Amino acid sequence: MAAVVSVDALRKRYRRRDPWAVDGVTFALEPGQAFGLLGPNGSGKTSVVKMIAGLLRPNEGTISLFGSEPGNPAARADLGFSPEDPDFPKFLRAAEVLDYFASLLGLDDEERKRRIPETLAFAGLDKEKRQIRQFSKGMKQRLGIAQAILGRPKLLILDEPTADLDPLGRRDVRALIESLKNSGVAILLNSHLLSEVELVCDTVAILAKGKVLKEGTMAEVVPEGRTLEEVFVELVEASTPKRDQLPSFIKDGE
Amino acid sequence: MNGAASVARYTLLELSRRRILAVFFSIGAGGILLIGVVLKLFSSSFTQGITFGPPGSAPPDPALLNRFLEVMFISDLTGALGFFALLVAFAIGMTAIYHDLESGAAVAIFSKPVSRLAFTIGKVAAALAAIVVIVGLLSIEATLVGLLFGGGLEQTLAVETIAQVGNALTLMLIVLALSTWMNNIVAAIVAFIYNAAAGIVIALHNQMVAGFLGDNETLKVGLNVLYWVVPHQLTSDAARELVKAEYDLFSSQNQGGGGDLSQAIAAVPGPSSATDILWWLFVIAVFASLVYYAVRRRQV
Repeated sequence: MAAVVSVDALRKRYRRRDPWAVDGVTFALEPGQAFGLLGPNGSGKTSVVKMIAGLLRPNEGTISLFGSEPGNPAARADLGFSPEDPDFPKFLRAAEVLDYFASLLGLDDEERKRRIPETLAFAGLDKEKRQIRQFSKGMKQRLGIAQAILGRPKLLILDEPTADLDPLGRRDVRALIESLKNSGVAILLNSHLLSEVELVCDTVAILAKGKVLKEGTMAEVVPEGRTLEEVFVELVEASTPKRDQLPSFIKDGE
Repeated sequence: MNGAASVARYTLLELSRRRILAVFFSIGAGGILLIGVVLKLFSSSFTQGITFGPPGSAPPDPALLNRFLEVMFISDLTGALGFFALLVAFAIGMTAIYHDLESGAAVAIFSKPVSRLAFTIGKVAAALAAIVVIVGLLSIEATLVGLLFGGGLEQTLAVETIAQVGNALTLMLIVLALSTWMNNIVAAIVAFIYNAAAGIVIALHNQMVAGFLGDNETLKVGLNVLYWVVPHQLTSDAARELVKAEYDLFSSQNQGGGGDLSQAIAAVPGPSSATDILWWLFVIAVFASLVYYAVRRRQV
């Protein structure tokens, strides 16, 4: 089956004197596959997904998104991207944001009329009349997911999609991922919530300092009798200095 | 280019909801009305028996006085219109693209199948439309107020409005391009300094052309080079119309004549020549390309 997205030996650094934020990452996703990209803060997960979405340019390596470069707008027609800490034009309302993005996706009037109210209802924003500048982080997160699914994508990238959501919102996102996966949509999920990743992803890659430490199916990465969290902590701690020292003023009980 | 139309449409909607533009528009509209009403009250209450000739001269023809007051109104107004056009240009230039980039809205927008070129075209088109609407509405109000004085200078005002919008557009594109690279306040300061420096160069060049700066060849060459480096301010014939109206008024009162009109007019900058307009178009094309280049290079 042809890969929806494949990245090969991807490298990225923001300034010449900086260390590599992404260093030799390679993976591919097929339709209906849910891929979890895991890693501690600053491990390069967001840089990887932003390069796939055509928002950042890699220094080295190649990305094929539906057979094209992500910089080509046509390649992004079947991509849904929900960014970490999403934001939108702040003087617009939720329905206007979706209409704006629907027009960028090239949806006709009829489709817009059908999809926008349903998507807003799914996101719990159908009765929301305030402008984005008055939205909470959780509301923006829900709108971020709503705009990502609006075009009925073949690849859905979710960057920390549940970070600002309440338990009900998390449950809805899990159900959404399951449903899309079953209908053949490829999912790329960046998350710190390992239990969530364990529930929905078929394959995972664990990143630290821009490098892939381990990659494979859930069964390959997590041996029987262990949890993803245990494997993650073990791998990441082995690649980075230990951070178990509490500040002295806390430890000494001052 | 469907994407450009969508970007333009929603950028305009956003701009229409920005309080700062509404405040600028309200101040501008109030100011125009105030200038017109004050001048009209002045003309009807304090000009009885006023003369512009030697003591004992007859009062001026009321039509001529009205014409003079209208030109004075238009002259005051062109300054005010230019000022407000620049304020609006700064307000739009500092926010139209910058806010999308800084808030993170651009992350969601650029992940959609829209090219950076379409995004830039949409943003610039919306910004231009906003300036045209705001300055155009102020200009229409000014034309209506001008009718209090008898009218007749509508064309001058219309041309002056176009010139002011053109100048504001140049500045707005500079701010738009700079604010894609740097903080929008720093961008506005840099653009302000550049605009002021360009204004000084043009003023000195005008002085040189009028023969006020002597015959120093080095100075002439230097000013000529600088003149063709900076954007040229578009000008209408409003300033010359004022001189003509003043001349008519004073010469009707002073039978000895008001001096040589052509000499007086030559000392006032005239309307932009075709070369100036072509240069302005070239500068606009360069700055618009810079905006696109900045947006295209920008990683979000």
